[in-house]
Amino acid sequence: MKKAVLLAVLFCLALGLFAATAWAKDWKIATVVKDSTNPWFIRMEEGVKEFAADTGINAFQKGPNKCDVALQVQVIEDLIAQGVDALCVVPISPPALEPVLKKAMDKGIVVVTHEASNQRNTYYDIEAFDNNAYGAFIMDNLAKAMNYEGKYVTMVAYLTSRTHNEWAEAGIARQKEKYPNMELIPEEKVESEDNQETAYERAKELMKKYPDLKGIMGTSSNDAPGAAKAIEEMGKKGKVFTAGSSIVPVAEKFLENGTLDTITFWDPAKAAYAMNVLAKMILEGREDEIKTGLNLGVEGYENMTLKGKVLVGSGWIAVTKENMAEYDWF
Amino acid sequence: MKKLTRSTEFYIFLVFIALTIFIEIQSGQFFTSNNIVDMLRAMIVPGIFSIGVLMVLVSGGIDISFTAIALLSMYSATKILMIWNYEGNVIMAFIISGAIGLLLGLINASLIAFYNLPTIIVTLGTSSMFIGFMQGILHSRVISDIPKPMLEFSRAELFRVYNKELGVSSGLPVVFLILVALIIIAWFILRYTMLGRGIYALGGDRTAAERAGFNIIAIQFFIYSFVGLISGIAGMTRAIMMANVHPTNLMGMELTVIAAVVLGGTSITGGRGTITGTLLGVALITVLSNSLILMGIPTTWQKVFTGALIIIGTGLSAYQTMKEKNKVHGGMKLGKKGSKETQKNTTGSSAI
Repeated sequence: MKKAVLLAVLFCLALGLFAATAWAKDWKIATVVKDSTNPWFIRMEEGVKEFAADTGINAFQKGPNKCDVALQVQVIEDLIAQGVDALCVVPISPPALEPVLKKAMDKGIVVVTHEASNQRNTYYDIEAFDNNAYGAFIMDNLAKAMNYEGKYVTMVAYLTSRTHNEWAEAGIARQKEKYPNMELIPEEKVESEDNQETAYERAKELMKKYPDLKGIMGTSSNDAPGAAKAIEEMGKKGKVFTAGSSIVPVAEKFLENGTLDTITFWDPAKAAYAMNVLAKMILEGREDEIKTGLNLGVEGYENMTLKGKVLVGSGWIAVTKENMAEYDWF
Repeated sequence: MKKLTRSTEFYIFLVFIALTIFIEIQSGQFFTSNNIVDMLRAMIVPGIFSIGVLMVLVSGGIDISFTAIALLSMYSATKILMIWNYEGNVIMAFIISGAIGLLLGLINASLIAFYNLPTIIVTLGTSSMFIGFMQGILHSRVISDIPKPMLEFSRAELFRVYNKELGVSSGLPVVFLILVALIIIAWFILRYTMLGRGIYALGGDRTAAERAGFNIIAIQFFIYSFVGLISGIAGMTRAIMMANVHPTNLMGMELTVIAAVVLGGTSITGGRGTITGTLLGVALITVLSNSLILMGIPTTWQKVFTGALIIIGTGLSAYQTMKEKNKVHGGMKLGKKGSKETQKNTTGSSAI
């Protein structure tokens, strides 16, 4: 009996060793998203597929069919039961996922997260970019369109939208530091309610009040397109410029007719690819290489900054009329 | 004259005039041709919605599903046209969207009329059903490549005004005529038809209306399907005005529209309300929300300002109603003259 147990243990050990070395490519890496029906995460899956094709690793994406944290926990539970080697998770709510991610880590599963800088039960969290750097980047684009001079204003969805306000404030800070010939009007931040019609109406009002207004910086995806529509309809094309965070399907018409100069965003597929590369590195035992300056071999994730458990990249993309066709993936 | 100064509309009108003068003094930009055209344009969609809301409120109900109906109808109608590769007259877009809206309105109508369920609960439920259907089953997402007839119509303008001083211009879209047409239709129904009388009677006192021989089920069926129909049309109007279909675009607008209608003197408990008052209410809210920057109110204070004006406006009309009621009450004791007033009140105020 004792012999049998010992044999079994030895067998398991051998199998484990075997699996870890010779069959490295048999790793199963699951990417778990917030909502598998959301176009953003459908795009994300492209990155997972690309990673699987490039490495031959069994990498796949799973997610609940609606954005519901209880369902996301269930998806992760199922994957733990299936015996995956690594989980790349985009949590709906980081605190709600702590128990299930702890369970996964206790079982020896590698856990990597994305857009969850406050997650505790994770090896590393990847952020596409730092909000301050992104806001400054939007400002750089606007400043260029405005020829680095003139009055401008920023738009946010609501004064309570945290990221939008961080971007707007970082943009303003960048202007004060680098573009002395630009001037922020007293309105500073205008609310667009994340609604293109409202952004359009506010932009019209601003152009009436400030006939010499030259720039509008948008943060919600509807701001810059709404402002562009107002510029077009009021006949201010070439006199007023706008740039902001948006996505191609919303903005393409305005990029095409030249009322909208540049839109910026980040590519979820690249984030997924980066997460999978990171998970693979940890599985390979190359954790000592993970430090500031890390290159994950994905555009925008080539020179990452490590702060605690959070790895920050510079994974934004600027899209203009010229390259918009490449990014029409929603 | 006395009648005029006693009406709620008169006071809303005064508030409205005071607001416009204040904006003019603050900015010197209100009474410019391009600004007035901008205001008329901004009134189109809330104006169309407000007509439906007026009918519902007058009948003693409340409907909060109309923006959801508008979104689902505009989204599915656009999708149908895209699949169909439709290139004909844009009127078809309105017919399809209106028909889908009517169908959705019928769902509300059946639940409310046959099962006599509270209107707020029914419409709250159907509203999230409609949105859920659009997001979950239709996988709604932004459509910026709208069908050609819609895109072409979105550029159609009745006229365009130029402001040389500012170097800007503004055009009034043709869809403005839809608002005008719907106002005339609703005014006619409320003012000159038995159905209109029935709507007021139902809101004034349901039991009395029933005893008086009004077919309550038929009236409710009409109201909620009519709201569905015009919401469908409003959705398509918005899609055409924006030249894109944005599935979250109208969400949250329902409360603003209801506030505007109540501001215009419509009683939230039913029985009272006029088209004139409603349009004034919509004008007031639209002008206000589109002039906060012109007035120079800091972004952080804009909500406070809007809220305060709504309270002042509704307070004024509520005060008017209270005064009238007291008069009626006092009058009753005096006999004949009072009973005349009472009678007038139960049959409801006229539609204009």
